[in-house]
Amino acid sequence: MIKPYLSFLAPIITFLLLLCAWELTVSFQNIPKYILPAPTDILDSLLINYSDLLRSTFITFRITLFAFIIASLLAIFIAILFSQSKIIELSLYPIAVIFQVTPVVAIAPLILIWVGLDNAEFAILILAVIVAFFPVLANTNLGIRSVEKNLSELFSLYEANRLQRLFKLQLPYALPFILTGMKTSIGLALIGSVVAEFVAGSGTSTGLAWRIIEAGNRLDVPKLFAALILLVILGVILFLIMSLLEKILLKRWDLDKS
Amino acid sequence: MLKFNKIYKEYDTPILGPLSLDIKKNSFVSILGSSGAGKSTLLRLASNIIKPTSGSVEYLNNEKPNIGFVFQDPTLLPWRSVIDNVLLPAELTSENKKLSKQKAYFWLSKVGLEGKENSLPNQLSGGQKMRVSIARAMVQDCSLLLMDEPFAALDEVTRNKLEDDLLDIWEKNKLTVLFVTHSVTEAVYLAERVLVMSSSPGKILDDVVITEKRSRDDSQQSSEFFSKINYLTNILKKENNE
Repeated sequence: MIKPYLSFLAPIITFLLLLCAWELTVSFQNIPKYILPAPTDILDSLLINYSDLLRSTFITFRITLFAFIIASLLAIFIAILFSQSKIIELSLYPIAVIFQVTPVVAIAPLILIWVGLDNAEFAILILAVIVAFFPVLANTNLGIRSVEKNLSELFSLYEANRLQRLFKLQLPYALPFILTGMKTSIGLALIGSVVAEFVAGSGTSTGLAWRIIEAGNRLDVPKLFAALILLVILGVILFLIMSLLEKILLKRWDLDKS
Repeated sequence: MLKFNKIYKEYDTPILGPLSLDIKKNSFVSILGSSGAGKSTLLRLASNIIKPTSGSVEYLNNEKPNIGFVFQDPTLLPWRSVIDNVLLPAELTSENKKLSKQKAYFWLSKVGLEGKENSLPNQLSGGQKMRVSIARAMVQDCSLLLMDEPFAALDEVTRNKLEDDLLDIWEKNKLTVLFVTHSVTEAVYLAERVLVMSSSPGKILDDVVITEKRSRDDSQQSSEFFSKINYLTNILKKENNE
C-alpha cells in the first residue's frame, strides 16, 4: 500500500529531478536558447512577459470556458430531444457524427470566412464548441438509454408523464455519464480553441496560441515554452475543476460503494 | 380482484397464454415456473405496465386498484434518500404531500427502518433495500401487491424474516398478493394457492390450493406440507425435462 503523502510527493520529486537534468544538460552542452532554453530561461521569459502572457491565458481560458458551457448545454439539450423522439435521433445523429469526424482544422477557414476575420474570437468559439460538443452528446445519450428497465417500469406503473420521467429518472440517472462526457469535453474545448486560433493565426485574437505562433516566428523559444507551460497549467486546472465538480455532484451516487 | 381473460402476449415469439385466471380478493397466490415461463410477464400484464397482444385484464368493479410492485432487485433511485424513494409514487401521482409523508414514515417504521429515513440506498444492506422497496410499494394504500422474485437475492435468514413480515403485512392490510418465485418451499410456505406455469409459451400447468398451517419449525410442519412441496417439485422437474 503506497502512503498518501508518497503518491503526492513522487510525481513532484520526479518532475523536479527532470527539471534539474534539463537545466544541467542545457548548460553543460551549451545548447542555444533558440533550440532548447533551460528551465531558468523559461522562468525569466515568463516573468518578463507575464502581463502579455497572462492576458492571453485569460483570453484562451474565457473562450474555452464559454465553448465548454455552450457545448455542454447544447449537447444535453439535443440528447434530451433524442430521448423524446426516435425520429429526431435518427435524423440528427448522423449530422452530429459528421461534425465529430471532420477535423476542426479543415473547417476552420470556412467558419472564419463566414464569421469574418475581424470576428476571429467568435469563430474560434464556434470551432471549440464543435470540437467539445460530441462527447457530452454521446455520453448523455448513452446515460439516458442506460436507465434500468425495472426503474423505467416503476415509472410506467405510476403513470409518470414525460417530464417526470425526464427530470426524476432519466437525467439524474444519466448524470454520471454526462459528467464523464464533460470531463473529456473540457479538454477538447481547450484543444479546439488553441487549434482554431492557430488556423485563424491573424493576430486579431490574442490567446495563448497566438503567443506561441508569435514567439515561434521570432525564434523566441523561451517565450514559446512559457506560453506552452501556461497552456498546460490551464488544461490541468480545468480538468481538476471538472473532477472536483464531478466528485461533489456524484457524492450521492457513491459509485465505488455500489 | 383480478381476472385474466384469454390473455395472450407475444413479442417476436409467443411468451404467454392464452390463459384465463381468476385471482380472489385478499388471497395470497404464488406463481412457480422455470425461467422463461412468462411469470414476470404475467405480473406486468396484471399491473398494466405492458398490454396484452390479445385478451384482457379486468379488475374488481372495473376500477384499477392501487397497485404496488416489488421487483427482484430493490430498484431504488441511488441519488434519493430512503424517505424520498418511498415518496416517489406520491410525487408521480401528485398525492397530498403532507399525508403521503405521514404514510411514508408509517410504512418505513412498519418494515423496521425507523431512523434510516435519511440514509442513502448504498448505505443499506440488501435486506434493508428490499424493505424500502416494500414500503414504497405499500405507501399508496395498495390493495394489489405484485412481487417478482423479491427475495431471490437475499440470504436465507433475511429471506425468512422478510417472508414472515410480508405475511404479517398481508394479513393486517387485506391485500391481494401475487408472488412470483423459483423456490417451491417459499411458494408453499407463503401462499394459499400456488400456480405452476409451463414455459414457451407460459400457461397454467397446475393450480394447487394450500390449506396447511405454516410453521418455520420443520418438526411442527405437517406431512401434507411436505407432500405438497414434493408434488410441486415433481411437476417442475417433469416440465423441465420435457
